Amino acid sequence: MIAKHILEEVLCRAISTGADFAEIYAENTRNDSVFLTDGKIERVGDNLLSGAGIRAFLGTETVYATTSDLSREGLLKCAGAVAAAVGDLKKTGSVILREKLLPNLHPARIIPSSVDACERADLLRAGCAAAREYDPSISQVSGTLLGVDHTILIANTEGLLVGDRHIRTRMAIQAVASKNGENQSGSCSPGAGCGLEFFDTVAPTDIGREAARIAVVNLNADYCPAGVMTVAIENSFGGVIFHEACGHSLEAASVAIGASQMAGKLGQQIANPKVTAVDDGTIPGAWGSVNIDDEGTPTTRNVLIENGVLKNYMIDRLGSRRMGMQMTGCGRRQNYLFEPTSRMTNTFIENGPDKNEDIIASMESGLYCRNMGGGSVNPLTGAFNFAVTEGYLVRNGKICEAVRGASLVGTGSEILMNIDMVGQNLECGQGMCGAASGSIPTNVGQPLIRVSTITVGGR
Amino acid sequence: MTFEQVKKALSAAARRAGLKEYEIYWESEENLSVETLKDTVSAFSSGNARGVCFRCIADGHMGVASGELMTDDALEELVRRAVSNARAIDTDDKPILFAGSPHYEQVTSPEPVLADPAALRHLALDLQKATYAQSDKVGDGTQSYTVSTVCETGLYNSNGLSLTRKIGGSGALVFAIVRQGDEARDASYALPGSAMEELAELPRIAVSRALDQFGAVPVKSGKYDVVFSGEVFREFLATFSPVFSAKQAQLGLSLLAGKEGSAIAAPCVSLIDDPMRAGSPMQTAFDGEGVATSRRAVVENGVLNTLLYDLTTAARAGRESTGNGHRGGYASPVTISPYHFSLAAGADRQEDLFAAAPDGIYLTKCKGFHAGANPVTGDFSIDSEGFRIRDGKRAEPIRGFTVAGNFFDLLKSVERVGNTILWQFSTGLTAFGSPDLLVRGVSVAGE
Repeated sequence: MIAKHILEEVLCRAISTGADFAEIYAENTRNDSVFLTDGKIERVGDNLLSGAGIRAFLGTETVYATTSDLSREGLLKCAGAVAAAVGDLKKTGSVILREKLLPNLHPARIIPSSVDACERADLLRAGCAAAREYDPSISQVSGTLLGVDHTILIANTEGLLVGDRHIRTRMAIQAVASKNGENQSGSCSPGAGCGLEFFDTVAPTDIGREAARIAVVNLNADYCPAGVMTVAIENSFGGVIFHEACGHSLEAASVAIGASQMAGKLGQQIANPKVTAVDDGTIPGAWGSVNIDDEGTPTTRNVLIENGVLKNYMIDRLGSRRMGMQMTGCGRRQNYLFEPTSRMTNTFIENGPDKNEDIIASMESGLYCRNMGGGSVNPLTGAFNFAVTEGYLVRNGKICEAVRGASLVGTGSEILMNIDMVGQNLECGQGMCGAASGSIPTNVGQPLIRVSTITVGGR
Repeated sequence: MTFEQVKKALSAAARRAGLKEYEIYWESEENLSVETLKDTVSAFSSGNARGVCFRCIADGHMGVASGELMTDDALEELVRRAVSNARAIDTDDKPILFAGSPHYEQVTSPEPVLADPAALRHLALDLQKATYAQSDKVGDGTQSYTVSTVCETGLYNSNGLSLTRKIGGSGALVFAIVRQGDEARDASYALPGSAMEELAELPRIAVSRALDQFGAVPVKSGKYDVVFSGEVFREFLATFSPVFSAKQAQLGLSLLAGKEGSAIAAPCVSLIDDPMRAGSPMQTAFDGEGVATSRRAVVENGVLNTLLYDLTTAARAGRESTGNGHRGGYASPVTISPYHFSLAAGADRQEDLFAAAPDGIYLTKCKGFHAGANPVTGDFSIDSEGFRIRDGKRAEPIRGFTVAGNFFDLLKSVERVGNTILWQFSTGLTAFGSPDLLVRGVSVAGE
């Protein structure tokens, strides 16, 4: 993408006024997507994002500048802007880059952009048609087939020069069911870190039918009663509970500056002993996986909580400087316009000791959350909320009628202790996580779990 | 390459490809931001990005491709990709490249300029110092931020359209963390402005809001009369604004479909969309398709006057676009969006609203709208914070509860509206605003 001698020159310029470290991140990202609404392909999205971000450190102070001009002149100008903001010292130094090649743990066979938009449209049509045909109450279906081809290059004044190419594919279908002037919706949006061969294992028709099924369940459901209940949360995207309730509070971005409820708690029992939680960016082909993070550090399997004891945080390069701890390969960003920060990759609760059937049978009354929507959290207080997109009341150990409109509200420290049963069907679901460094793909996951008490918002 | 050079290169490539109708949309943005931590600048960033979107009518459909590479080869490739992408489209809509409106309003705000980087750093440090000076309870993690952006847009097409715009602004945000014993609370507040005189209130507001939350208690579940603060209700407007999109209505995804001309809200509710709000640096005379914008009452005294239309949805409905075709960035598609969209102010002072809800709740913070609210159904169940109102006065802080209901019911249940609109600080063309308002009988789930 950029010649080595230019990178060296640019890095020298960035540290010419006293910075003790500089890094350049350059990318070319093709984003190819097909959008279907109302049975018709309405739009084909086709964008080539191309630019670089240059960052310098002076201790724990950072300076960051971006440019969409990847020419030598454009990059030198950008590095000059960084140097000017760092200070007015005059320093000469040299940078010698040594290129590093890393194994690709996430190979892709069929690059989305190499397949004609008409062919990609056919895959999406099949999925959306299946949603339409699922039930007469389905009144509207829309869908997206997204393909991302992301090539990055990272070089820094420690001599690192490393690149990666990462392919992602995802199909998202939303179905709306209508009855008596009322709408209810359902969605399904699986994806993976691979090419269009993704659909060899996941049929588009299954995606469409699942979205339609949830919409129909909700259409025929009553509102969820509100109150404090025992709740069982199903596997896969149910893991959003850990992502929100705890994951964000374990990111160096908030821990290192004392803005997290989890700061200073390493080695402490912060969760029920049945809870072991991991952030693992190395899972082959997973939606949240990458070979290297956006600072050039290989991703790792990072055990965050082991048997309820806090073992580690997610630490990026700046966090590492601030906290005096090892980087964990989690410095991520949406694209070159964002400065990287500590983020999650594939974050999940490990399988536990309880049988799934025992979990439901143990509940005299409560709520079974089969599908979850997104959520949000305040890392300082740990206060979180998330939406239940498919829920059922539980009575006498049996799953009963569907209810809609529920949300779960609580604080991370409470809920971690209140997870008192952990099942054995660990699976991950795909999401986009938004934070300071933009929107990035992350997996959330868990087996079926039981939370002894939690506030359910409903009406 | 400049916009003129890109225009020339793309037009030549379009002619070589035999295209008769095409459009070039260009954006170039510069931004600066400063972040402070304790008493130092912890991060400074400056961004410079530009991109171009090429749209063309090929085989009777609209093909699109966009990118940031501005070499001759890359632009030639952009045209080729747009033509190829058009082949996959199969909508029945006739693609439209607009020739221009007869009249465009004049923008009244002064042309924005990017703030001086050194001044922006000093401003952030001054705010940070002022924030710590508010209280000895202000502690680690407290951050002050300043930002400045300028964005230039050019829109040109083969049908004679040629428009440019420059928007931008500066502002600041204070995120205050306060601690007392084991309890930690935070609050953030943002205001537009680039000088301490304009932003003097910012540290005080952020810190007092955080301090006010100490000792917050749960609230009993039940139905309450709720005073929504303007800051909370504008988030409801932002979340549910897609229901006013003609596209959502035409797809059956807005329950306002077929309701134009009908009462959909209480008579005290008027919703105004104003692309030229006085004093805003984000004024625009044209939308993302080149159509002239104009101020309108979308809802007037409870009656839905009109939905918001772009060219495609207007053609489907056999009417004119309202000038609400929006492009969120050079690579974003045309969607439908309002500009400065607000609930019109009423007559009540805040104390009047509290007096009318003597045993109610004053809702000051709601979060998680992306998860807890659904514009298709109108349903919401939102994690909230606020205060009890007792004897018509603001009383103890409350937290850890949800408010639930349906947006369309909420619009009908508004009983009184406050007299001051609180606007979001926005760096884009869309911003939401609202005064405080009173709604009776809202479902609250707490303990």
